[in-house]
Amino acid sequence: MKTKVLMAILAVVIAGLIAVPWIASYFYVFIFTEILILGLFAASFNLIFGYTGMLSFGHAAFFGIGAYATALVLIHLEWPFLACLLVSMGASALLALMIGFLSVRLNEVYFAMLTLAFGMMVFAIAYQWRSVTNGSDGLAGFTLGSFGLGLDLTLANPSVYYHVVLGIVAIAAIVLYVICRSSFGMILKAIRQNPERVSFAGLNVRTYRLVAFVIAGIFAGLAGGLIAPFLRVASPELLHWSMSAEPILMAILGGTGFFLGPFIGSAAFVLLETWITTYTESWMLVLGIILALMVIFFRKGLLGTAIDWWMEVKK
Amino acid sequence: MKKMSIRNLLVAMTATATLGTAGTSYAEDPIRIGGLYILSGSAATYGEFAQRGINLAVDEINDSGGILGRQVEMIYEDTQGKASVAIQAARKLVYSESADALVGLDSSGVAQGMVPTMPELQKPLIITHAATPDVTGKLCNAFTYRISVNVAQNMKAAAMVAAETDATKTDATNWTTIGPDYAFGHQSWEFFGNYLKEINPDVNLMSETNFPRFGAEDFTPFIDRVMDSDAEGVLISVWGGDLVNFIRQANNRGFFEEDLEVMFTVGAATEVLTALGEEMPEGVHLSTRYWYEAYDNDTNDRFVKAYLDAYGNPPSYNAEGAYAAIYAYKQAMEAAGTTDGPAVAKALSGMSMEAPNGTVTFRAGDNQAMVSPNWGVSGPMHPEHGIRTLTNLQIFDGEEVARTIEATGCKL
Amino acid sequence: MSGIGAALLNSLDIGLLLFIIAVGLNIVFGVLNIINFAHGALYMLGAYLAFTLINIAGMPFGAALILAPIGVAILAVIIDRVLLRFIYSRDVADSLLLTFAILLIINESVRMIWGSGIHVVQPPDLLSGSVSLLGSSVATYSLFVIVIGLLLLAGLWYLFNRTRVGRIMRAAALDRDMAEALCINTRMVVTGVFAFGAWLAAVGGVMAAPMRALDPGMGDKIIIESFIVVVIGGLGSFPGALLGAIILGLIHGFGGRYLPEVNLLLPFVGMALVLLFKPNGIMGKGANA
Repeated sequence: MKTKVLMAILAVVIAGLIAVPWIASYFYVFIFTEILILGLFAASFNLIFGYTGMLSFGHAAFFGIGAYATALVLIHLEWPFLACLLVSMGASALLALMIGFLSVRLNEVYFAMLTLAFGMMVFAIAYQWRSVTNGSDGLAGFTLGSFGLGLDLTLANPSVYYHVVLGIVAIAAIVLYVICRSSFGMILKAIRQNPERVSFAGLNVRTYRLVAFVIAGIFAGLAGGLIAPFLRVASPELLHWSMSAEPILMAILGGTGFFLGPFIGSAAFVLLETWITTYTESWMLVLGIILALMVIFFRKGLLGTAIDWWMEVKK
Repeated sequence: MKKMSIRNLLVAMTATATLGTAGTSYAEDPIRIGGLYILSGSAATYGEFAQRGINLAVDEINDSGGILGRQVEMIYEDTQGKASVAIQAARKLVYSESADALVGLDSSGVAQGMVPTMPELQKPLIITHAATPDVTGKLCNAFTYRISVNVAQNMKAAAMVAAETDATKTDATNWTTIGPDYAFGHQSWEFFGNYLKEINPDVNLMSETNFPRFGAEDFTPFIDRVMDSDAEGVLISVWGGDLVNFIRQANNRGFFEEDLEVMFTVGAATEVLTALGEEMPEGVHLSTRYWYEAYDNDTNDRFVKAYLDAYGNPPSYNAEGAYAAIYAYKQAMEAAGTTDGPAVAKALSGMSMEAPNGTVTFRAGDNQAMVSPNWGVSGPMHPEHGIRTLTNLQIFDGEEVARTIEATGCKL
Repeated sequence: MSGIGAALLNSLDIGLLLFIIAVGLNIVFGVLNIINFAHGALYMLGAYLAFTLINIAGMPFGAALILAPIGVAILAVIIDRVLLRFIYSRDVADSLLLTFAILLIINESVRMIWGSGIHVVQPPDLLSGSVSLLGSSVATYSLFVIVIGLLLLAGLWYLFNRTRVGRIMRAAALDRDMAEALCINTRMVVTGVFAFGAWLAAVGGVMAAPMRALDPGMGDKIIIESFIVVVIGGLGSFPGALLGAIILGLIHGFGGRYLPEVNLLLPFVGMALVLLFKPNGIMGKGANA
């Protein structure tokens, strides 16, 4: 019975997401595009935070480099969009391999601080390397051409772009989910709970952390590749540490212990921001209060709290 | 996984339920103008000044019958000085809040990112502060206008001022710069150098330039570096809180006692002068995009008086630009007879209006207002306003300091 | 030569101000194992309170230097009792997030209370102007900052090594359960240490006010710098904070002058190098990272 209800709910949600351009006002096409992209960004972060227990403060480096890679390819090579995304994923994979190789040996605060330092180094380079990145102004004025695979899509149409993002994020989420559910994902969880025990079992903890870090980087890069054409700009703030704070907030808000938590967090974050800024300029104040309450009282996030409640009721 | 979806559904449902309510508009509703400014963080003061200017204009217009018989209503969004935030905010203003027109933008980076998206929104945007030349240059489009002075205009005037200084009239004429290490600082120096070379080919633009990072707080190393160099003239494009820090540290170093021609490209901004008071040295060249005592006309008298009455200190350039932009929309909407985006944008092209800084024309070729920066030399303290006065005020011909349309790279 | 002398003095001036600000962050981490993201916001509060006391209430600078940090310390006690007490037993990530929330709340509150404008505090008459030293002119106030920084260092050394309170703090840092078993009220130690850290941040804010313009983003500007100082010197080691602050001061003082192209990059490179080769910082002990 429960399973059937949940299957039905999932089907309705998916149908609802597909139908957004037809049932919602035009503005919400943009809002849901943003939710999906940031949700993927947050989900990629949660692979290393929620699953592996590593708090990275430099995850925006991979998001940002993905955005810059797509922007640069569109400006200089005008490749199809799918090819741009592959370049974004490749670029972020390389960067994640380099940063991860040096970082995963450290723990907790030291890991957080080292990833912060590397993230800000990437920011500083993008900010000052004016000939390639156009410095503080960032890259703008690029347009999307074809999608690739011979599909005839008008990507400049926001509704079409929304469906493309929905499709790509759905595929990426399934891949991430499969990774999390695999034996590899189980080992990551074990590392979070007790790295020593995993180590005693003869597994190389550092290698597992590095692989998780690179996978997370690749998916963040993919999200970055999706955000650049959506915002029409790749600018240094996408690489700044305050951008690294966003997936952390989203994951916490939604629930780090659940695969869909970061997506819920992204939806809650973006919708709250949209609604609250309509009534007050002090969005940061409201965000601070919500975050404080979440950390203190609802550490399992919206999703975890809702599930606990549902389990109670349905007993 | 399946169990987790319930929350997802709830969010989607509540979201969907609220979607239908936004986005309708009736003919007798007020005209809505969206304002995009920095309202939080270090530079929040610029957004606040713009809001003050806009509030004055909106109150005046509403008291005298509104625009096309409709009241005017402002809706603000915080850009946080980030292009990504500003672009989503503009979409929200247009698609969700039904804004008829947009004003704003404090940061060049935000302008660079946002301007290319304006044709999609099909609403006019009047930029009131951001100074990057590109948005009325190679990135220009039919929906984007700028009422404030851009970097190229200000630097052309700066070069003309510099050419008249003692530093440039002597034989050896070494100029250098101290500017924030981002597009604005670098562009200011490039335009200034090129224009100064045109006027006087003998000047030497030093290769040793100084670009402290934006928000650096301590500028002493750069001040020392210029004092130790052979520079005779220095162009300083540091602004805002950084400029306040810069001048106080330069005072401590005896920078202004050196035999140097010092030119501050945004030095006569009232927020800086107010914070500094007597610490702003006398006898340095200061520029601003609008100086409240530079213009002798009814519009300016009324604006300055209303501003002083309402807020107690003299208006900043950012308040003036935002104030004038609202009047520009009034005139354009009345000329077009509608608030329809493309029609209003078209009415703005080539339009002339009376603004506090005189008659302002949006040039048809690039949509840049033909306005002049105000350069002057800092003088004694103002007896009432508590800030330095500007002496030897220079107002330039708007056409003369503007780039030619060919030089802008704008193709409209 | 005068160039190097000037850069050296300037580095010391930047470095000791950073030390005053960062040392509180470091002590809070060392004893409570909390990375206080709101430390920069508390520094900003100190500066704004000083502005109100000096420019609005007309008090002398000395009075502000005493009163403003006390005010911030009282606020810190409230923050500790109302919010932080929930997360002391949890891991570091939670404290980062909660203090980040506090930072957002304080930042926005400052903007609502004091407005968004740029404010300036004058140094006291006695300390304004400049003197000649090492072949260049130095602001008298900069020397004052250097002296206060060194005095604080001496005071902290005395506190931790020669007083009972300091020994209790160190005991609590090493092993809270053991300290409790020895009948030490760790609850009070925790609140006291957090308030003391906030007090130091606010002293930094008051000291900075006459040399740095006040705006609602000033806390954000300083917090990452403080992290760099603390990491370079060694998390939890207060002599390390001094070393880290002076190294960062040198990076700014000389980097700005001789390597301007990379002045944004350099501090982070320094931070990463230290973490890679000596994760506990230059002055840190052991290698249990």
